[in-house]
Amino acid sequence: MSEQAFPKAAEADVALLLEGTFPYVSGGVSSWVNQIIRAFPHIRFALVFLGSRRSDYGEPRYALPDNVVHLETHFMHDDLGRHGIEVAPRAGNMEAFARVVALHEAFRQKGTPDLSAFEALASELMPGGSLTSEDFLHSEQAWGFISANYRRFCTDPSFVDYFWTVRIMHLPLWMLARVAKELIPVRALHTISTGYAGFLGALLARSRGIPLILSEHGIYTKERKIDLYQSEWIRDNRNVFQKDSTELSYFRTMWIHFFEWLGRMCYDAADPIIALYENNRLRQVADGARAERTFNIPNGVAIGRLSALRAKRADHIPPVLCLIGRVVPIKDVKTFIRAMRILLNRMPEAEGWIAGPEDEDPGYARECRELAEGLGLGDRFRFLGFQKIDELMPKIGITVLSSISEALPLVILEGYAAGVPALATDVGSCRQLVYGLGEEDRALGAAGRVVGIADPQAFAEAAIELLQPDNWHAAQAAGIARVEKYYADYMMFDRYREVYDRALTAPVASAAEAAPLRCPVHRKEGG
Amino acid sequence: MAGIGFELRKLLRKDTLLGLLQAYAYAGVIGSGPWILSIVGILAIGLLSHAVVVPGVQITQFQVSVTWLIASSLILTGAVQLAFTRFISDRLFEHRDELVFSGLNGVLMLTALVAGGLGVVLALTLFSGMGVVYRLLMLSGFVLLCCIWITTILLSGLKRYGAIVALYAGGYAVVVVGALLARPWGLEGLLAGFVLGQFLLFFGMWLLVVWHFRSPQFVSFEFTRIETLYPSLMAIGFFYNLGVWADKFIFWFFPDTSSAIIGPLRASVIYDLPVFMAYLFIIPGMAVFLVRIETDFVEYYDRFYDAVRSGGSLAYIETMRDEMVYAIRQGLLEIAKIQTLALLVALVAGPAALRALGISELYLSLFYIQTVGASLQVGLLALLNVFFYLDQRRIVLMLTLCFALANFLLTLVTLRLGAGWYGYGYCAATLLTLVLGLYLLDHKLDHLEYETFMLQ
Repeated sequence: MSEQAFPKAAEADVALLLEGTFPYVSGGVSSWVNQIIRAFPHIRFALVFLGSRRSDYGEPRYALPDNVVHLETHFMHDDLGRHGIEVAPRAGNMEAFARVVALHEAFRQKGTPDLSAFEALASELMPGGSLTSEDFLHSEQAWGFISANYRRFCTDPSFVDYFWTVRIMHLPLWMLARVAKELIPVRALHTISTGYAGFLGALLARSRGIPLILSEHGIYTKERKIDLYQSEWIRDNRNVFQKDSTELSYFRTMWIHFFEWLGRMCYDAADPIIALYENNRLRQVADGARAERTFNIPNGVAIGRLSALRAKRADHIPPVLCLIGRVVPIKDVKTFIRAMRILLNRMPEAEGWIAGPEDEDPGYARECRELAEGLGLGDRFRFLGFQKIDELMPKIGITVLSSISEALPLVILEGYAAGVPALATDVGSCRQLVYGLGEEDRALGAAGRVVGIADPQAFAEAAIELLQPDNWHAAQAAGIARVEKYYADYMMFDRYREVYDRALTAPVASAAEAAPLRCPVHRKEGG
Repeated sequence: MAGIGFELRKLLRKDTLLGLLQAYAYAGVIGSGPWILSIVGILAIGLLSHAVVVPGVQITQFQVSVTWLIASSLILTGAVQLAFTRFISDRLFEHRDELVFSGLNGVLMLTALVAGGLGVVLALTLFSGMGVVYRLLMLSGFVLLCCIWITTILLSGLKRYGAIVALYAGGYAVVVVGALLARPWGLEGLLAGFVLGQFLLFFGMWLLVVWHFRSPQFVSFEFTRIETLYPSLMAIGFFYNLGVWADKFIFWFFPDTSSAIIGPLRASVIYDLPVFMAYLFIIPGMAVFLVRIETDFVEYYDRFYDAVRSGGSLAYIETMRDEMVYAIRQGLLEIAKIQTLALLVALVAGPAALRALGISELYLSLFYIQTVGASLQVGLLALLNVFFYLDQRRIVLMLTLCFALANFLLTLVTLRLGAGWYGYGYCAATLLTLVLGLYLLDHKLDHLEYETFMLQ
């Protein structure tokens, strides 16, 4: 679909703010977005997709539902490569930069942050404001601020790396301010993560006085931290004497703080703040969300369609462990492969499958194939590529997840509904899904097993135990009971219907309430 | 002059008095450049043939003809010299060495065409009263000189300083000897000797390029493509040369100070010789300038940009900036010191020199003030060089424009004020441009880190 073919509208009901997900990237969150949009055909959605660079994405992976009336895409790191344009020196607005200084001072204070400086600045970022991206990039004020902060805080010697980290990190904010200014009129905002999309949500909510709904699947800040730990591209220029291995490189710390603050700004503006499960809600509160705005809405699956698959199952338990997911490091596929080696030594008839695309991280996928080959798994271990759930589920004995990070994985619920127990690592909501959350839920029994992360031995032993027919049948029954009682899609839709109804009927905030965002000069006029 | 620093540092690293002397001598010869050699050559012919060429007026006619050739060819090719050198160094950076030879041939062909065309037109109009042989010799001399300036600046861009100086020495030896041998034929004989020497000089330099940059392609006009043209460099070269000659032209055309020498060519006996002599006194300043700027300054300049690119701390970057400033300050200070010494020598030797040349001692003060002006011009050159390193072409253009304009206007003013003021126009113009340049440099260096990082 070319950009000209994107649907465009003059206004819409709900703007979905999507960072690096639907409709360009497939995965759990994207499926969920697809599910939600299709569940509310009477709501007209406007989609705002935020990506890193245009070249990082191919064609959309999902067909757009009919009630998507508007789609726009923005790429935050596309304008970084401008070269050879002659730039004239400029002074920069002293008052605006004084407020930038105040905001950064507020960031450094311990305890409850005072975000009033942000409110005063947010509108100045927009086109026509007093803090333009040109000022950020080229003004003497900005230079003074950047070099002063480098001198005061930076523990990494390389100034050029510090300088570019600051630039690359902040530049998207101005693009987002422009997007916020130019977005078509909508009645409510719904962001699916904090981060840049959440920041855009905060900008829009503050400047237009419309409600912002935040649904967090993973915890953006935490996932970003994992990315940042793993990324090689963040430079660390300390030499062997300066380096303390317990101390993160300064630039990593900068990125982490940056995303934490984007998150705070989003939490500050959003109501309600929805988590998928209890642990994440607590984490949101710890990260600065006001507890009274938070609650959980778990994912749900289509019980009716999936329960029909139970009839297709063979009488015996297939000794097949299947990991349904993308072949990427966060899924820690290698632990699954190692566990299969241990399992096969004890149960030669067992099989391991991986059902999911390998194109996201081809290097990692190749390593996984080499590992499986190196461990001599032969035809007992298969990379199936993308598979249809409905055809796959009846053939497998256990759905497994060896991830080092998960939110509320749909595949476990889909497995339950189709009569397949789960074996998962103790991440995200997996413990809640397998053993139950409250008293009542726990009474339903264990729908599988949970083991520690990166522990192939424990993983293999749990699989052997779960494949014992008695254990397996008990787990299957517990899974079916749990998914039907707590995780049916209609329950999720009902909850979101309430959320949307409240947001769409909310009175548009009066001008007085939106006032903090207006120009301070005019504010004085208004008294 | 990039690259000369390497040779100089090699000599300085010997850390001996001899090494030091060698470095300064080397820098002096190279820095003062080919056109000082030309002046020496012309003066030498004049002095040597003074007694033997009859009538004596023919020597003056010869000298004036050659001076006009040099001035006009320098201004005409000024537009090409810097821009073409930049084109070649960009191509060398891309490892397209074959374009040195074919590109040079291309630019020489174009130059010869333009200079030749212009020359023919002038020969048929302004010079129509002159003899055919004279006109032919002048035409070929003009085209040859244009080609020589371009080849010279190319070779100095390629760091062949030693070869340039040797070829110039050889070329002008032929000019002097040839002129002396051909003096029975009068003006035409002297000119023929000049043209022969220039031809050998040009041919030698051209062979040097052929030798080092053999190329399957003989000629290329790639430098005329719009994206490889540097209009600012073309303008800089043109205005700088115009500025250097502006006061001389005015003196040549002002009735009180000049006389018609041959055909349309005029000269100012009272102005020209003191001026050319004054230029001889800047050789020590040029030497100091090259040694200081091309070694100390460039060293910290390199370290500054290395630190910027490869992750130095801001404190280190600033230290390197400060060292650059210090090197420039030291360089200018040393130029000032050595030129003060040169000025003292001029004061002492001046009266005798003018007497020997048969010029009234009334013009001593003109000679002194010209020496001051020329000394200031060394400082200006040093400054322009620093700006070129910082790639501040816009500032250089502004300064050269200012220099040309100021020299033109102020010289006109001094002509009105009277003979006592002669020379002050040129001197004030260089001083004004130098002060303006220093002010701009001060500001530029103050904001160097800001501009390096924030204006990208």
